[in-house]
Amino acid sequence: MGPLDQERGVTRRDVLRTFSALAIGGTAGCLDAGEAPGAAAQVPRVAGRSRVVLVRHRDVLRADGRPDPAVLQRMLNEAVVALTQEATSASAWRRMVTPRDVVGIKSNVWRSLPTPPELEEAIRQEAVAAGVAAANVAVDDRGILDNPVFQRATALVNTRPMRTHDWSGLGTCLKNYIMFARRPSAYHGDACASLGAVWRLPHVAGKTRLNVLVMLTPQFHGLGPHSFSPAYTWPYRGLVVGTDPVAVDTIGARIIGAQRREHFREERPISPPPHHIEIADTRYGLGVSDPARIDLVRLGWQDGALV
Amino acid sequence: MPRRRVTATLITCAVLAAGGAAWFWARPSRRPPAPSATGPALPTRVAAWTAQGQAVSYDPQTIFSYIDGHAEVYLAYGMRRCLARRYTGPSGERDIVLDVFELASPEDAYGVLTYDRDGAPADVGHDALYRHGWLRFRQGRYFVSALAEQETGPAKAAVFELARGVSAALPGDGGVPGIVAALPAEGLQADQVRYLHHPQILNTHVWLDDANVLDLGPDVRAALGRYRRDGVVAHLLLADYPGPDAAARAAGAFARRFGLALDVTDSVKVPDRGWFGVGARGARLAAVIAAGSQELTAVLMRDALQEPKEASHGTP
Repeated sequence: MGPLDQERGVTRRDVLRTFSALAIGGTAGCLDAGEAPGAAAQVPRVAGRSRVVLVRHRDVLRADGRPDPAVLQRMLNEAVVALTQEATSASAWRRMVTPRDVVGIKSNVWRSLPTPPELEEAIRQEAVAAGVAAANVAVDDRGILDNPVFQRATALVNTRPMRTHDWSGLGTCLKNYIMFARRPSAYHGDACASLGAVWRLPHVAGKTRLNVLVMLTPQFHGLGPHSFSPAYTWPYRGLVVGTDPVAVDTIGARIIGAQRREHFREERPISPPPHHIEIADTRYGLGVSDPARIDLVRLGWQDGALV
Repeated sequence: MPRRRVTATLITCAVLAAGGAAWFWARPSRRPPAPSATGPALPTRVAAWTAQGQAVSYDPQTIFSYIDGHAEVYLAYGMRRCLARRYTGPSGERDIVLDVFELASPEDAYGVLTYDRDGAPADVGHDALYRHGWLRFRQGRYFVSALAEQETGPAKAAVFELARGVSAALPGDGGVPGIVAALPAEGLQADQVRYLHHPQILNTHVWLDDANVLDLGPDVRAALGRYRRDGVVAHLLLADYPGPDAAARAAGAFARRFGLALDVTDSVKVPDRGWFGVGARGARLAAVIAAGSQELTAVLMRDALQEPKEASHGTP
């Protein structure tokens, strides 16, 4: 029998640290060449700190629940200005895309909580205003591998609503790229731990200019086979914006966690744990998951910000 | 690309593929069996709701086109088929969605039901629960879900009517898996009992490890219970393996993972997680996960393994 007060074993964080140095093949049995999750272990980490902008507006949702396009576009542009620290939204967007770019806007069409078309259109308009030819901008989700604009894309803008997810814990910006994989189910093992590998695929790596995590009416808990009930959404009226998907998702996850505590009146962690966010940092070097190294810029409405 | 790098890439791919082959989904016995030849006839109308077209059948390959984010749960219980139908309501009401899942066994239907046990008991089929417009029950190897996309009084009534109609058309009873009945009774929280085969289902309810330490799989029948005794909380996993060797190997792997001696009286405290213990007797394994005290760990291990029971590999 072991000593009564002796602490042995390892913590989950220890596991993540250990695994960060290893190529894990658990989900790789049916990956295509070049899709091995472990390949990203050699990618250098993003150094230093990450800036994330949380922008909220009390009036972004109309009485019918739809976003107000003008308010939403203003929020997006304020966020991009704060992110880039440029003087105007026009110059900020020119930092994001150039006239030579071909821009794929990776959206999300999940029936219950899709990316708002108003936001897709706002991003498209800003890309065109920054000089990208209209024919060189496309919005897509399920069809991205066959979309000719995405096939030629030199720049990606990633946008999706935040929601809980039964297999990955959370539907995040990181997870939104799973449709870039030829076999998305190959990334489902261990609560989708290897999602970061998708970001290292040749047709994805290095192209993402902006991540917009939609938190207008985020979903903090699932219900039923389709994992959705309006009872588990709330009008947060926010966008979380950044160039670092890990940092963006980290902030989003903290907001969801806080809302769960408020709603359930007890500690009810997101389950399964959305550890693909931390693993995208520790194993794949895609960004910063340590909240202490995220510079969060808060804009607009502050009531009930939860973070 | 240099030849050496190509060779290294090929070797890496081969190693990864071999590792992947060991993964749960690739187990031969996990390949989905053929669904039954016929399914239940789903109603064309319920109260003021009318079916949109025919019922649609999804198999393990096509289910992802229908369910985004939850399909893996049903696949983890050997889903053979999902029969789905959507009903359009009167003005001002949203749709009702009916999903009838055919699982590998009645035990698996029980397992799906125990995945989410929040809700008020309802009198439909077996172990029915209702919350926020969602009514579900199990019957034989079927798990039935009737969901009102917006909960209203009429929608709730229609959901119950729909579920009762489906229940009347389904065969099967509602026995409880033997391994679940073997969970020690004292302090067991009835609404926190789960039946499972898949390591991620375990991790969803109580996180154990990134790796499948216990070698859970379709040939392992496991019950997870949450206990509260004298204000102290713990999880106990009981699992029946195909034989004593497999149970002993799993216990050994668990012990190595957490730094335990291979002795059912040993326990270990993992920082920030709690006390862990493991043991095996015959084909049955018991593991205490994240207990609040060493004393509760010891008592649960003793209770779980003191009277060996027959492995519950029969149909409940």
